[in-house]
Amino acid sequence: MGTLLTRDTIDNTAHDPTRPQELITGGYDFTSLTDKVCGIVERRGAPRAWWVALGFSSTLAVTMFAMIGYLIFNGVGVWGLNNPVGWGWDIVNFVFWVGIGHAGTLISAILYLLRQQWRTSINRFAEAMTIFAVICAAIFPGIHVGRVWVVWWLFPLPNYQAMWPNFRSPLLWDVFAVGTYATVSLLFWYTGMVPDLATLRDRAVTRTRKIAYGFFALGWRGSNRHWHRYEKAYLILAGLATPLVLSVHSVVSFDFATSQVPGWHTTIFPPYFVAGAIFSGFAMVMTCLIPAREWYGLKSIVTLYHLETMAKIILATGTMVGYAYATEFFIAWYGGNPAEQFAFINRAFGPYAWAYWIMVSCNVISPQLFWFKKIRTSPVALLIICIFVNIGMWFERFVITVISLSRDYLPSAWGYYRPTPVDMLTFAGSFGLFFTLVLLFMRYLPMIAMAEVKTVMPQKHWESKVSRPVGDYHGTNPGDR
Amino acid sequence: MDSQQKDPRRDGPDPFRFPKWTNAIRLPVTLAAALAPLFILGLLYLLFSPGATSVGYQPAQPVPYSHQLHAGLLGIDCRYCHTGVETGAAATLPPTSVCMNCHATVRAQSEKLQLVRESFATGMPIPWVRVHDLPDFVYFDHSAHVRRGVGCESCHGRIDKMEVVRQFAGLNMAWCLECHRDPVPHLRPEDAVTVMGYVPDEPQIELGRRLRDARHITPKTDCSTCHR
Amino acid sequence: MSSMNQNGLDHNYWRSLQELSDEPEFRRFLEGEFPEPAEVPTDAMSRRRFLQVMGASVAMASLVGCRWPQETIVPFASRPEGVTPGTARRYATVMELAGAVSPLLVTSFDGRPIKVEGNPDHPLSQGACDLFAQAGLLELYDPDRSRHVLEREGGRPRRRSLGDGEAAAAAAFTALRARRGAGLAVLSEASSSPTFAALRGRLRDELPEAAWYEYEPVSRDNERLATGLAFGEARRVRVDPGAARVLACFDADLLLDHPTALRNARGFANGRRAEDGEMNRLYVVESDLSLTGGMADHRVAMPSLEIPRALYGLAAELVLGRGLSLPPGYESVLPALEHVRAAGHAPAWMGAMAGDLLAHRGESLVAVGPRQPDHVHVLAILLNEVLGNTGRTVTYGPDDQRGLSHGAAIATLAVTMGKGQVQSLVILGGNPVHDAPADLDFGGLLDRVAESWHLSLFVDETSQHCRWHLPRAHWLESWHDVRDHDGRYAVAQPLIAPLYDGWTPAELLSLLLDGVRRPAHDLVRATADREPGAGDWEALLHRGFAAALPVEKAAALDGRGVVAAVRRGGMAKPAEVGRENLELVFVRDPSLHDGRFANNAWLQELPDFMTKLVWDNAALFGVSTAAALDVAHGDVVELQLGERRLEAAVYVLPGHAPWSVSLSLGHGRTAAGGVGNGTGFRAYALRNSSALDAAAGLKVVRTGRSHRLATTQDHHAIDAVGMREREKRSRSLVVSGTLAEYREHPDFAAHRTHHPPLVSLWKERPREGFAWGMTIDLSTCIGCNACVVACQAENNIPVVGKDQVAKGRELHWLRLDRYFQGDPDAPAVAHQPVACVHCELAPCEQVCPVNATMHNEDGLNVMAYNRCVGTRYCSNNCPYKVRRFNWFNFNSDIPDVRKLVYNPEVTLRSRGVMEKCTYCVQRIETVKIDAKNEGRPVRDGEVVTACQQTCPTQAIVFGDLNDPQSRVTKLTTGDRAYHLLAELNVKPRTAFLARLRNPNPELAESADGHPAH
Repeated sequence: MGTLLTRDTIDNTAHDPTRPQELITGGYDFTSLTDKVCGIVERRGAPRAWWVALGFSSTLAVTMFAMIGYLIFNGVGVWGLNNPVGWGWDIVNFVFWVGIGHAGTLISAILYLLRQQWRTSINRFAEAMTIFAVICAAIFPGIHVGRVWVVWWLFPLPNYQAMWPNFRSPLLWDVFAVGTYATVSLLFWYTGMVPDLATLRDRAVTRTRKIAYGFFALGWRGSNRHWHRYEKAYLILAGLATPLVLSVHSVVSFDFATSQVPGWHTTIFPPYFVAGAIFSGFAMVMTCLIPAREWYGLKSIVTLYHLETMAKIILATGTMVGYAYATEFFIAWYGGNPAEQFAFINRAFGPYAWAYWIMVSCNVISPQLFWFKKIRTSPVALLIICIFVNIGMWFERFVITVISLSRDYLPSAWGYYRPTPVDMLTFAGSFGLFFTLVLLFMRYLPMIAMAEVKTVMPQKHWESKVSRPVGDYHGTNPGDR
Repeated sequence: MDSQQKDPRRDGPDPFRFPKWTNAIRLPVTLAAALAPLFILGLLYLLFSPGATSVGYQPAQPVPYSHQLHAGLLGIDCRYCHTGVETGAAATLPPTSVCMNCHATVRAQSEKLQLVRESFATGMPIPWVRVHDLPDFVYFDHSAHVRRGVGCESCHGRIDKMEVVRQFAGLNMAWCLECHRDPVPHLRPEDAVTVMGYVPDEPQIELGRRLRDARHITPKTDCSTCHR
Repeated sequence: MSSMNQNGLDHNYWRSLQELSDEPEFRRFLEGEFPEPAEVPTDAMSRRRFLQVMGASVAMASLVGCRWPQETIVPFASRPEGVTPGTARRYATVMELAGAVSPLLVTSFDGRPIKVEGNPDHPLSQGACDLFAQAGLLELYDPDRSRHVLEREGGRPRRRSLGDGEAAAAAAFTALRARRGAGLAVLSEASSSPTFAALRGRLRDELPEAAWYEYEPVSRDNERLATGLAFGEARRVRVDPGAARVLACFDADLLLDHPTALRNARGFANGRRAEDGEMNRLYVVESDLSLTGGMADHRVAMPSLEIPRALYGLAAELVLGRGLSLPPGYESVLPALEHVRAAGHAPAWMGAMAGDLLAHRGESLVAVGPRQPDHVHVLAILLNEVLGNTGRTVTYGPDDQRGLSHGAAIATLAVTMGKGQVQSLVILGGNPVHDAPADLDFGGLLDRVAESWHLSLFVDETSQHCRWHLPRAHWLESWHDVRDHDGRYAVAQPLIAPLYDGWTPAELLSLLLDGVRRPAHDLVRATADREPGAGDWEALLHRGFAAALPVEKAAALDGRGVVAAVRRGGMAKPAEVGRENLELVFVRDPSLHDGRFANNAWLQELPDFMTKLVWDNAALFGVSTAAALDVAHGDVVELQLGERRLEAAVYVLPGHAPWSVSLSLGHGRTAAGGVGNGTGFRAYALRNSSALDAAAGLKVVRTGRSHRLATTQDHHAIDAVGMREREKRSRSLVVSGTLAEYREHPDFAAHRTHHPPLVSLWKERPREGFAWGMTIDLSTCIGCNACVVACQAENNIPVVGKDQVAKGRELHWLRLDRYFQGDPDAPAVAHQPVACVHCELAPCEQVCPVNATMHNEDGLNVMAYNRCVGTRYCSNNCPYKVRRFNWFNFNSDIPDVRKLVYNPEVTLRSRGVMEKCTYCVQRIETVKIDAKNEGRPVRDGEVVTACQQTCPTQAIVFGDLNDPQSRVTKLTTGDRAYHLLAELNVKPRTAFLARLRNPNPELAESADGHPAH
């Protein structure tokens, strides 16, 4: 596998209304596709690059847990927080990761309902990424509180103080919103994976793999009955997940929107946050997928067309985000609330202006390059821009959280927030954790939803002509339908 | 595609399947998995209940003082020793001199009173071990309760039956709130506050209601009622 | 040994009580936040034992099961009459600081003093209390206090028991007595104590060879010398701002730096409440921006050295310009005045001031500060005389202090020491090695004295140069007596027996004179019995002071003295301060006084009322001066004064006089203790005996380095955008107007902020029962910080240290916001105390996920620390940013003795919880319970919050808003009332009363520094 990104040989992005869009190139048939995808998981010994990457990211992850230990031992003061800035990188990171966690379920659920066939090549990967991002996100609210050991008071559990949590508090809504989202995403991911796990099980040669995959394949046989129920379940889950995609980040945005901090207290937040989340989510999918497809030679399965389509979505959502930024300013001016007005002037021209302008250039300007097909279809360019988008989206959360807090109503109480090394290492560590999980996923689970991809391959339509391959009941055999 | 070629991956050893008997245990396993969290929660809940942790706490005291004897048999009123109970937050323990009021003459030579005599002679206090110990962030005021007619018994139990004092109630917040939300079952006429095993000559409910309304007893359930 | 073991009872008992008191478990005492109220003997003797016993008593035996450590309760062996353990008791006493007296009422809880308040019956305090007395509490429990006698041999200190120390001293003193005191010098602090004076008298008679010196680095000696010139004998200048309608202060900080500052402030404030009639007018001419300057209606910033000119100019204006006639015999000052008038011009303010003074003869006051030379004071005395103020707004009482001025005294002593004429030196308190003028090299001289004794609370710089160090008893531990500025006699009774067996200066003197150390109690008692009007001893102690004022003989002005002084001053060549000749002014540190309080963490972390600096002092520059000299906030500059050099950080303070630099004394200690060492910059290094107050010829050299100054406001260098916004907002936050505006539209305050009609988002809770509320009058809040310390003491607020403050993590529940408005070189200053305002629709409550902050029935916004998980959401959502978070456990590793200061009525907050002002809910609850037990309603004014209690100007009023008759209701509904950020509709319970200024119509610009509208 080449470590350097090479230009794609096959370009399937040309739009030809006379023929159905070619989603899988390189002349794969069901079998070779299965071999290709399973091959990645089944090969003996992972490539060195993988080990290096894993070593690096897991080290970072360990650092984070060390930092968390240090934090719990000493108190939240080890971060750069102060009065007035009571929330800093902790919440910034939380919102950032929850945002990342959007793409997956969106691709799986909403695009599924919308019959977007191109989703099949990327949804497995995106969903996995979602789960991992949500895991990273879930860490921060847990550790940001002053007394971690009583954080369970946020859950309505029976207790000897006869106390309920405060259901008026958006933080509590968060607990439920993120919790539900994580659960459903996980179910969705797993359900979708069952047939592929079965494939791996059947191809497995070592005992452990047989049993491991076999256990999680839940005895899948690919019978009509199985397929029937599977599709039903998948549809229902997609239906369940769809509103969640929109709800979870709306609820997260309530943390800010329902408060009365100038710069937080605004009704535009829910749609704005959701758009931003999809934006960042897709960017992160690209960031992980482009190298992956390169290294694992999946260019014919995750084709340029896929990348381009995602680029278009990024362009769209990026523009929405830009629109939101503009609206905020307009409303601040039009609303005539002096505190609000100052909050935004301060964002753009105050001591934190640098952060604001990083955000704008990364989120609003850079995606505009996607108007050019040349850039849309160049993996290198895509990768770079997507990384910028990730940076920009992190800064968006920084701008909203920190700048607004640092200067609210009483000038006497204004402050300035500086992160400490602990802040930084914790943040870096969360990336470590994320990529560790991604790498493990790529190594041990099928990163392409084979079963689903097969449904969008041309072969699907030849079923009548082609004789059913003997003893090949793994994957989807159209004959079963 | 050619299905005839041999490929150990495809025609290899039989893949893993769940053995037949697993069908039988599907339901129980599912149920167990579903109920496990609830079970664990319940277990913890009981494990850390005040009933399990506090009630019945009965440390040995430096002086083998018997409430059963003094409060029970001899029928000495609580307030003879615990003088602060009507005026201050703390009920207060009696100074050694109070013991000596009687024990200067009664059982003057008793082994058990060694420490008391020593204390009286040297002026060094007797280190009683605390039984009813509220958290430091709780501010309980005896006078506020006793003066409203809440019997000692309500919180301390039948002291007159205890050879060595034992913690009677959980003293946890839910327990406090129980009475603060509805004091009726615990209200008594002022003269009966220190009576042990008090039995009202009318149903407690009626008595309690009457007293509550008569004395405008409206216990607060605000945080600041107990926490400062 | 007792036979308990054989009793076959359980065996964790102590085998005997003797052992128990020996067990080294004091450490564990108080590890639980508050042990069961221990029952404590109140007679002084047994208090120390109580500590040991308590220590031993809380044997934290670990216990099986989920319980916290076992506690024990230790009742008295026999309880004194009338003591209910666990209840607070209050005792009257006094504190003396450099001869000035604060009458006090000290709350003692089970034998430990936990709160110091002013004695409400005493005219000087009227319940108010200054910083130093309140913080004295922390000094008492300071773990760095000296606990042993130290003898220095070959420079190395050796511990000696008190017994040995006493014996050694006694022996040496006997020898001295034999020599009739030859070679003995005594150096003491200023004291107004009759007992002390008596002992001093005896020393003069019995040891005629001995010499007595008295030194205070910060004193009012110029005033004393001046009165000496004007009356032929030293007199105490007593001012009564309350009786004055026009006050002209020349470098005089009447409201803070004055023996009767508390009464002055009260009087001044009474004259500021426009609704109660006329409003006084305050002119201030000064160099640094003092507390009084901040309250001025017209403030003129000019270098201290030029202020004499100003007063002479005023005098000339009055006499020559406005024809104020001098009494016969004084005509000969005219040439001087003419000379001045010829030389200097008369600025507008001078004319206006003169006019005002003339218009208010007999009810005006010209006051001159301690930094000004004697002849200026004399001129002031003359002016007050001719303006008919003498006897009305200013009187002159007798002054027991005799002899040299402090500056002269220390210089003379140094000379005699230099000549080797001092073999034995007894230093009673004070710290000359640190604070004597630098040119004397007192430390060096002290090393050459054969036998030297230093009696002090700490082993400080001076102790390190003395042969013997003797531990001194803290004022809360000692019997003492004083004569206050009015001549009133008062007795100080100890609140606790000396923790480390220290002695009082009087005791040491008695050892010197009698060969035996007579207990201070007896000495004081003897004086009290002799003192006319002291009355019955018990009553005296109960009341804290003698009712009767001693009869004084009136002061007669000595014309010749006055004329001579004024002529001398008037003819003298005026000082020309300018870019080439900068002036350095030595200022008394508002928090550390002369440096003696450097080890007091409360005072170190107390934000300076103007600069908001903590844990530091700085060289204060005016805005334009800083620009001209090209120095910026935080730069380290080298101050050069003649041969002397000192590096100090720059603080650019709006309103500071041009070409003048002021530096506060007291910082830069090297042996203050763990807290006070190495904070700030040692101004004494630049202070010469020739110029103790202000020195010309300062050079400022930039070093290119910078120093981190920690402030509680403007935590970071503020940018232009923020600066503009702050200026704009401050006008709607601190609503202020002129008297004229007020007379025109009494309700102008309500109309300063404009907002749409307010609609509540929530179902509002009905106001039943109590509705506690507070008003803070910005017209009378002088920003003296007394409330901040009171709050800290009452509510167990930890000190967080310089780094944390620099990060913006200070924990003070009550902060004094200070705003400058208008011209940076002559700004209007506004103080605004902000603590939790207890919103009825509290934003913090909506967002707390665990219900840790809730409303109670009285409408208080209460905080349940033990429920808080610390999400900090409440703080984010608080528009006033008054919530404080425990970023770390600031109560861990506190030395045990230091824990004795905690108020048992308030929970100690642990790490990770939010805290904030509670309106002193513990006080409210106590009052409510008592009232209920007594079956009566709570009276208005019965609940007094800590800040309100100590406020010298009574700017803070607290009470029940449901009671239409209560003061707070009247004020809240009054016309000056407004609510901070009312536009948010959070309905705060704390209301502010608009600040009124009373500018002189003659001077066009209004006091706000902007045209009145």
